[in-house]
Amino acid sequence: MKRKLIAAIGVAGMMVSMAACGSDDGGSDSSGKKSGPDSYKGQTLTVWAMDGSTPDQWQKDLTAEFEKKTGAKVKFEVQQWNGIQQKLTTALSEENPPDVFEIGNTQTAAYAKTGGLADLGDLKSEIGGDWTANLNEAAVVDGKQYGAPWYFTNRVVIYNKSVFKEAGVTETPKTRDEFFAALDKIKAKGKAEPIYLPGQNWYFFDGLTIGQGADLVKKDGDKWVSNLADPKIGAAMDLYKKYQSYSKAPKDKDEATPQQADVFAKGKTGAFIGMGWEAGTAIKANPAIEKEIGYFTIPGETADKAEGVFLGGSNLAVAEGSAKQDLAKEFLKLALSDKFEGQLAKLNGVIPNKESLNSNLAGNVVAEAAAPGAKVGGTTPLIPEWAAVENAPNPIKTFMTAVLNGKSNDEAAKQVEAEFNKRLAQKQ
Amino acid sequence: MKRSASSRISGVWRNGTAVLLIIGLVFPVYWMFATAFKPTPDIIAEDPVWFPTNFTFEHFRTAFAAENFWTMVRNSLTVTVLAVTLSLILALAGSFALARMRFKGRKGFIVGFMVAQMAPWEVMVIAIYFIVRDSDMLNSLIPLTLFYMVMVLPFTLLTLRGFVAAVPKELEESAMVDGCTRPQAFVKVILPLLAPGLMSTSMFGFITAWNEFPLVLVLNKNAESQTLPLWLSQFQTQFGDDWGATMAASSVFAIPILVLFVFLQRKAVSGLTDGAVKG
Amino acid sequence: MTVQTERPPSGPADVVKETGATPGDPAARRRSRAAAPYLLLVPPVAVTLVFLGWPLVKNTLLSFQDLNMRQLIQHLTEWNGIENYQQILGSEDFWNVTVRSIAFTAVNVFLTMLLGTLVGLLVARLGKRMRVALLTALVLAWAMPVVAATTVYQWLFASRFGVVNWVLDKIGFHSMAEYNWTGGQFSTFFVVTVLIVWMSIPFVAINLYAATTTIPKELYEAAALDGAGPWKSFTSVTMPFLRPFLFATTFLEIIWIFKAFVQVFAINQGGPDRLTEILPVYAYVEGVGNQHYGMGSAIAMLTIVILLLLTSYYLRIVLKQEEDEL
Repeated sequence: MKRKLIAAIGVAGMMVSMAACGSDDGGSDSSGKKSGPDSYKGQTLTVWAMDGSTPDQWQKDLTAEFEKKTGAKVKFEVQQWNGIQQKLTTALSEENPPDVFEIGNTQTAAYAKTGGLADLGDLKSEIGGDWTANLNEAAVVDGKQYGAPWYFTNRVVIYNKSVFKEAGVTETPKTRDEFFAALDKIKAKGKAEPIYLPGQNWYFFDGLTIGQGADLVKKDGDKWVSNLADPKIGAAMDLYKKYQSYSKAPKDKDEATPQQADVFAKGKTGAFIGMGWEAGTAIKANPAIEKEIGYFTIPGETADKAEGVFLGGSNLAVAEGSAKQDLAKEFLKLALSDKFEGQLAKLNGVIPNKESLNSNLAGNVVAEAAAPGAKVGGTTPLIPEWAAVENAPNPIKTFMTAVLNGKSNDEAAKQVEAEFNKRLAQKQ
Repeated sequence: MKRSASSRISGVWRNGTAVLLIIGLVFPVYWMFATAFKPTPDIIAEDPVWFPTNFTFEHFRTAFAAENFWTMVRNSLTVTVLAVTLSLILALAGSFALARMRFKGRKGFIVGFMVAQMAPWEVMVIAIYFIVRDSDMLNSLIPLTLFYMVMVLPFTLLTLRGFVAAVPKELEESAMVDGCTRPQAFVKVILPLLAPGLMSTSMFGFITAWNEFPLVLVLNKNAESQTLPLWLSQFQTQFGDDWGATMAASSVFAIPILVLFVFLQRKAVSGLTDGAVKG
Repeated sequence: MTVQTERPPSGPADVVKETGATPGDPAARRRSRAAAPYLLLVPPVAVTLVFLGWPLVKNTLLSFQDLNMRQLIQHLTEWNGIENYQQILGSEDFWNVTVRSIAFTAVNVFLTMLLGTLVGLLVARLGKRMRVALLTALVLAWAMPVVAATTVYQWLFASRFGVVNWVLDKIGFHSMAEYNWTGGQFSTFFVVTVLIVWMSIPFVAINLYAATTTIPKELYEAAALDGAGPWKSFTSVTMPFLRPFLFATTFLEIIWIFKAFVQVFAINQGGPDRLTEILPVYAYVEGVGNQHYGMGSAIAMLTIVILLLLTSYYLRIVLKQEEDEL
């Protein structure tokens, strides 16, 4: 799942954000008490950030200012997604865990239940008054704040302008039907693969289920169980199947094998659904493709509402076992301050944790395409049990491949139900 | 040697097979190096570019630019060399006893080491993690060295036993007749004859320790105490299917072993055969 | 390089029975002689007991615990008796994986031994230059670190830009142009098998070649005098001489291939659908991947038991033979 997570949480662009969000008592975003520069002198705070999350400039400025403010040093350690859960779990059991660490929004609940995350309730009341409510949702477990929302991203359609033009598609599709019509035209032209979509781009599928208002799991008594047989899931899968029928991509692979951007880079693919940063991968493989690349929102049924998307994102958490929790909170206050949260949004093109900072995204083409999707975006089910589901081999991916290979939705749901439920029932 | 027509034909046959085998054996190694030197568009070309014509060091630059690369090189070398050397020393003593002496329980020891050789270390990682964590030895090269030493010890010992046994006993005895004590005879007569055996046995230990990944992954989280397999794995995820960087890193990782093997194997095989002919 | 034969390579150099002819033979010296082998064995045995035995004991203890993320992070010890074992032994998955592991090991060991032996015999029959070339090629393949080798094989068999598919397409198998090797159980195993056999042949071949060079020429000459043809001398001289090597090498290959965690895991993480998981991969996915560490430890214990059963035949032979030898 690691690579998929990179894909999920990597650096995309995006602009506006969710509509009505709970608490808007603006202005309460400044840090409260200021600690003197020498109070933490000599200490070093260890921060784990995932690969690609922290731009150099941001890291440099933040480190300098943190040192000025607290007298303490920060040591950033860049982590790879590969094997991160095991690494984090063991690290949290050690005497010197990372004081602050980045944790995927969908993984936060599971870790909160282990007792490894410190309660950040006071931090929330101090600086989190205007955190966008639905972004903060994943950091709250049983009413307690276990992390601070940090940044978020979602997928867009990345397309090849000349392939679209040659097939006679002059305007970017605004609705799902227009999109399919465009793909039909490219197919009819016969010179390019209309879209590259492997069978297991599971976060795209998750977005479709969000768009359909479907739930992947349901409650059975006090247990969570598979809801894949639900007709709404079936409707989402039908859409996926329709998209996939335009592609020659393997039905049992995800977007990382082969890297879909590499395929796209050859110029014989109309479009693919990916994160903004994947365009960079394509350009690296074939610099000539750069001028052909365009972006648009994954269109929904009607022009006024975009397709649902998976909102990948990260929270920052503090280790319960950290001996420097106060210092860690000082760090969070600074890192999540308007200055640095805004800088991160600008440099990485990611959605910041509050709406008031969205101005930092202006002028980012990818962000403009991603913005409408984010309004209707959601996550995977926010239950602690969920983490086990996405461990390879993800039963939902198995489900997707089974449907694409001709099974009915019900048959496929039945096929993976046992494994799915087993994972949901696993003790935490 | 006389050569009949039929033997010449079968010679052609044999050489032909050998050439095919050489291609099959070497191609993956060649392809690794070739890919590492090709610019990305050549790597993902519709038709494979068989020889890297547009040489580039770009992928190597990416690979070397990784943080702490040289620290990891040093750690890998330290741990590997120490583990192999220590296990050779321990194994030498044990193998001598097992190959040359008669005592009660001898076969029990042999079978014991054979069983030890089967230990599935990859699946015991968590148990080892608990031990090291609770001994407060995380992020240290010492536990790595010790565990790698034991990983390769049974194989080293059992293999060396064969080499020790291959040294004609008469040599040792005549040295003893000449007034050497048994330890002296061992050092002066047997040890020199064992040199090729020691070298070839050490190769196995070297490659095992050099490759070890699951244990260091969980024991040493500080970049300063990590080893090269972690560096290599970092590229596989960071670049997804960026084969250029991955192959460059793999090449760098493979080179020390390839060089060591080609160098040692020559000596070891010829040493072994020479010894056999003379013996 | 030699293998651990149950008989030393150049024929037992033993049997020089000590006849008590040692000059001046006081009891003290005899006693110290009797203690010598044990003293020599103390260091390796002690080290093995500590650094292998201790993890084994620890692993056994963990296998009787309910040990997941929470318990690990909070250092909790929650005994749950034999529940882990009950769950594993009661699940169909475990038995499927076990059968698959054994079949996987059998096929790979057979192919490795067969091809390795043939290559080894071929090396012995080549001219000098060709022999050096082939030996060098073998050594190169052998020396490829497994981490690097699996990466290279993923690249060779990659579905879009991999060389293997390109070649298959060019030689007429057009349906293979974008064949996805890791899409099916059989094709994934095929790739893993090619990788493992490729990595393992050199060890067998080089050792076998080294062993053939130790066969005394006189034996062949004697066989020739008796009128034996090439085949006869092969079966009556070469094979009997090589048998102990083949036995020992097979034993090692069984161990190594049964434990081929890295190759299987790196190629496709045991997929698709967990259909290529062998025991060590299963233990890893359940234990570390899904973070059920107690369960993983229990599977590890069972893996050890199964491996012991698989090799018990050979170990018994060793026990018997060693008895006759010294």
